[in-house]
Amino acid sequence: MDLHSYPPPHHILGDLGMEAEITSETTANVRIRVTSHITAADGGVRAGVLATLVDIVGGAVAARALRPDWMATADLSLQLVRPATGPWVEARGTVVRKGRTTLVIEALVVNVADDGSDVGVDGGIGGPVPVAWATMTFAILPSRNAGAPMQAASDLPVRWAFDGDGLEVSVLDALALSVVDAAGGRVSMPVGEYLVNSFGAVQGGVIALLGDVAGSEALGAAQGPGGQPALVTDLQVAYLALGRVGPMVSRARVLDDGSDGSRGSAVIELFDQGADERLTTVINVATASPGANPVAESS
Amino acid sequence: MSGPTERAPIESGRLVSEYFRLERWEIPPPPGSDQPSAFGGRAPVDDHQRGAGGGLRTGGLLSTVDSLGGFLSGLSVQPEWIVTTSMMATISRLDHRGPLRLHGQVLRRGRKSVVSGVQVVDEGNGDRPVAVATVTCAVQAPGDMALEFERPVVIPMPPLPPAVQRPEEFFCIEPGTGPVTRLELADHLRNPWGILHGGAAAMLADVAACRAVAPSSEGPVAAGDMVLHYLRPVKAGPVEARCRVVGTQGGRTVVRVAVHDVARDDRLVTLASVAVLDV
Repeated sequence: MDLHSYPPPHHILGDLGMEAEITSETTANVRIRVTSHITAADGGVRAGVLATLVDIVGGAVAARALRPDWMATADLSLQLVRPATGPWVEARGTVVRKGRTTLVIEALVVNVADDGSDVGVDGGIGGPVPVAWATMTFAILPSRNAGAPMQAASDLPVRWAFDGDGLEVSVLDALALSVVDAAGGRVSMPVGEYLVNSFGAVQGGVIALLGDVAGSEALGAAQGPGGQPALVTDLQVAYLALGRVGPMVSRARVLDDGSDGSRGSAVIELFDQGADERLTTVINVATASPGANPVAESS
Repeated sequence: MSGPTERAPIESGRLVSEYFRLERWEIPPPPGSDQPSAFGGRAPVDDHQRGAGGGLRTGGLLSTVDSLGGFLSGLSVQPEWIVTTSMMATISRLDHRGPLRLHGQVLRRGRKSVVSGVQVVDEGNGDRPVAVATVTCAVQAPGDMALEFERPVVIPMPPLPPAVQRPEEFFCIEPGTGPVTRLELADHLRNPWGILHGGAAAMLADVAACRAVAPSSEGPVAAGDMVLHYLRPVKAGPVEARCRVVGTQGGRTVVRVAVHDVARDDRLVTLASVAVLDV
């Protein structure tokens, strides 16, 4: 696979309509338009979709900073602090530390207007009002490593867009996610070309989205009969192995159901069912307090 | 992070875990298995270590997680050893009664890194879940470090010292308020590599984030979920934690904590995310 053939024409990144810009040797911005197909109950983009956005901006920064080497996401954390209501939502990635074997990147996520200007200004710091903050660790794959999937081109573009048809259904339906058992956080997702990364395995952000859904379902069900899916605000993703075969299936263990007014939390394990049920990912999720009003808090 | 630069006995890292009186025991794999050992641990939660949430403050909790996760990761790659590069912890309860019981296992063992998972329950409250964490370590040549252990490893619970110290005092965190908090690197805060112990950095992030949020909060606050990236070793210090409030949603305030080595060109050594809760 090379840079010019990824992603394929029908792909989740294209349907999300990602637009990327490299702003320096160590920074990049990636944005998507906010639509009802990617939002949660609070009207903001759901955490797993934002994780996909920051994973891509991290990859964009890393590809530039590491060339000719390549990289794989080792871990990702994301904390939402306001609803990402748009009209666009943009992740701004920056290299924090480049070491011999790993690269650490942070990303601030902000709401952006159609003309590219920031929506709101933080009076305290004079900068944009964040809707989320994320950090990522990438494992560096030396270019001499035959396992690296691409020869990173020396002429990496400064701007690009993943063109697609756009989502006509919920992103969860587009990914064919199916909830098998809400209380157990058992969600299944087939693996196909639509959602793979440059390694031919499930894209890291989509993995996070699967964890988001599993945690949301499990913590919602823990509220009792009729419990609605909970609003996930925090994701901590540890990538252990690639998910190549599928279907990817999740299993949740609720740590705290939040029934006493506290935040809910759960740990999600993802398995590649077609690869001997191999454990691929561990995702810690936390949800907003049931009584918290995120819109009021953020205003 | 770089490897050791001076001879450092493995015992030096025990001073931090001894402060929390962490008991540890190796759980060998079944005979014939090539899987690495798991580890169990127990920390009593002494009263002077309790935070505003009522239980062991999160910096201390992560310190015990680092001590247990680092040790089991190191054993899994012998004759080499490890240095912690990141920790991600989700904290479900702050009001633990104690003792806390830990269980850690290796999730992935590679040539260059080891990822371990650690679960913490409140043994004094019906094994109620307290935290889950993943600890990522880089594999390093041990240099002159002494790494001979009687297996299976058993480290008993240290006794309560006659004179107890509050965490801020033990971890040499200067008194203060506001967005900047400083820590002096005393010898007892060094890990086996001779650098600032990851648990000390976790405690600094906890204290600093709470001090940053406290002025705008109506009541007491405590640190909850935490993510730490250990970027560079700290050999001299002092270090300074500089906080920026990212925002508030869902009942917690997210604080970005950047720890800088003041004595080494002010370089960034640790980056942390801390969720601060009203309690």
